[in-house]
Amino acid sequence: MRVRFWGVRGSLPVPGAPTERYGGNTSCVEISTSSGTRIIIDGGTGIRRLGKELMRGEFDQGKGRAHLLVSHTHWDHIQGLPFFAPFYRDGNRLFVYARQRDDQNLRSVFASQADAPFFPVPFHKTRADVAFRELLDGARFEIEDAQVSTARLNHPYIATAYSVTADGAKVTYVADTAPFTDILFGHEFVSGPALAQGKLSKSDRAKLAIMAEDVVRLCTDADLVIYDTMYTAGEYQKYPHFGHSRPQDAIAVCQAAGVKCLALFHHAPDRSDSEVDTMLAGARALAKEQGTLDIVAAYEGLDLTLGRG
Amino acid sequence: MDVTFWGVRGSIPSPGPFTVRYGGNTPCVSVRLDNDELFILDLGTGARNLGTSLFAGPFGKGQGRATVLLSHAHWDHIQGFPFFGPFYVQGNHFTVVGQTRGEQLLDRVLERQMAAQFFPVQTYRNMGATIDMRGLSDEGDLKIGGARISATLIPHGGTQVLAFRIEADGKTLVYASDAGYDKNGPTPDALALFQGADLLIHDSTFTPEDRAQRLDRGLSSLEEAVQAAFRAQVKKLALFHYDQDYTDNDVDQLVARGRRLLDDKGARAIAILGAAEGLTVHL
Repeated sequence: MRVRFWGVRGSLPVPGAPTERYGGNTSCVEISTSSGTRIIIDGGTGIRRLGKELMRGEFDQGKGRAHLLVSHTHWDHIQGLPFFAPFYRDGNRLFVYARQRDDQNLRSVFASQADAPFFPVPFHKTRADVAFRELLDGARFEIEDAQVSTARLNHPYIATAYSVTADGAKVTYVADTAPFTDILFGHEFVSGPALAQGKLSKSDRAKLAIMAEDVVRLCTDADLVIYDTMYTAGEYQKYPHFGHSRPQDAIAVCQAAGVKCLALFHHAPDRSDSEVDTMLAGARALAKEQGTLDIVAAYEGLDLTLGRG
Repeated sequence: MDVTFWGVRGSIPSPGPFTVRYGGNTPCVSVRLDNDELFILDLGTGARNLGTSLFAGPFGKGQGRATVLLSHAHWDHIQGFPFFGPFYVQGNHFTVVGQTRGEQLLDRVLERQMAAQFFPVQTYRNMGATIDMRGLSDEGDLKIGGARISATLIPHGGTQVLAFRIEADGKTLVYASDAGYDKNGPTPDALALFQGADLLIHDSTFTPEDRAQRLDRGLSSLEEAVQAAFRAQVKKLALFHYDQDYTDNDVDQLVARGRRLLDDKGARAIAILGAAEGLTVHL
């Protein structure tokens, strides 16, 4: 199994010299199996360059097939889709998976991104065959030779974590999520930074505990876990209501789950390359105190081979 | 009048080592008058850095006022809106001017972008600052503080965008991003708006060769930009809204070609520059 990172940033793309090494594009990770199954997790701006690369192969002839797993539909996870070239070629087949919503079907959420006055090409003019699959929390399914499992995450308007198992390897993608301790996120707007610690109701605490268990289970024995570590500890104190984690949260989950390697991911827009280096060094030091977890900080172009190639 | 570029890229932000000099953020230009009044042209991702820079002044204390002029609502011109920090500070006051009538602008451009499925803030009402909407079709020319603002609809493929002329401090700035004319080149209305400007910021997405392959995009090449500058007898032309795949070296060549095209027309007096993030032009 091959895992390639095309966008590693959170919130919005941040071009410029301070982000040159890790990259400024928003979230997009590509997973391909040895038999050629192609899975893409999230469609941030990083997906544009992935699309260009795919058009050098069978997608250019309209013979491509890819599966897009969407963690949630906040802009930084979908804003690259209108610029994904394989959509605009007859014959390509694209399957989009995301959590089922109560208020709006998945196709209409995605289609509205391409509505006037926002984008010149309406979604119904997309040439590829695009099928939407709505997922329930905890869904498990197969994509060709890959097994996919999901878990609900703790994020405003709810996000989904995915694990993909193929070629004797497992990768788990956990973004975006807050820790499972202070605030239970759902559909309500959480306005303030006041930490809910100690004020959670018994039932909310129980729900978070179940969510945390499910995420640990989804990460269990993974070769690689890609985890939302947008915040430092200090930033988390200020912005717990935005729904993102710290390296210490990711390390705790990975150590409980017996994970081999953790990729810090969804870097904050203000995080310069040298600050990501510092965060990585801090995370490695913390992990060393408690075990033998390998840690990397995801960067655009990072290319990992897991299991049987 | 100081004109500062915060985002100069078209279509989609384009981070990476090849765009570091000119910048990869989508359109945003600030205009600071001598009396400190602030105008902001478009809210692409460049607006985030502008917002950060404003926090040191009155906008950090909830005492800021500015006028935002939106050319149109394609993503690359509004996607910085949710990330413009001063919108979140109570007491700041903004007037947003765009092509549709006030309420419609609010609903279509801002509220739909902020909706819960797309952004955690859920509605612009959770942002804090006071934001008034003014549709230009309601008002015609505007007098705002020390500036006179005129706007004209110019073609952009199958749709239209607003080009803005700002006259203040005895100088004239014109902003014409996303201009894309038919084979006859700049329209008479556009040329009238551009006429004699001290600085014309004009769409220059493509080389002439690339534009010929992408006529359906409704954008200009260097040639249309130069033609507009020459025919409207402006003093200085800023190339703007570069294709997302153009590297810094590609843009260098665009500027050099523009210089030669102007010289060939005998327009040596018209200055030309490539808009770059962080660059300020004093008029």
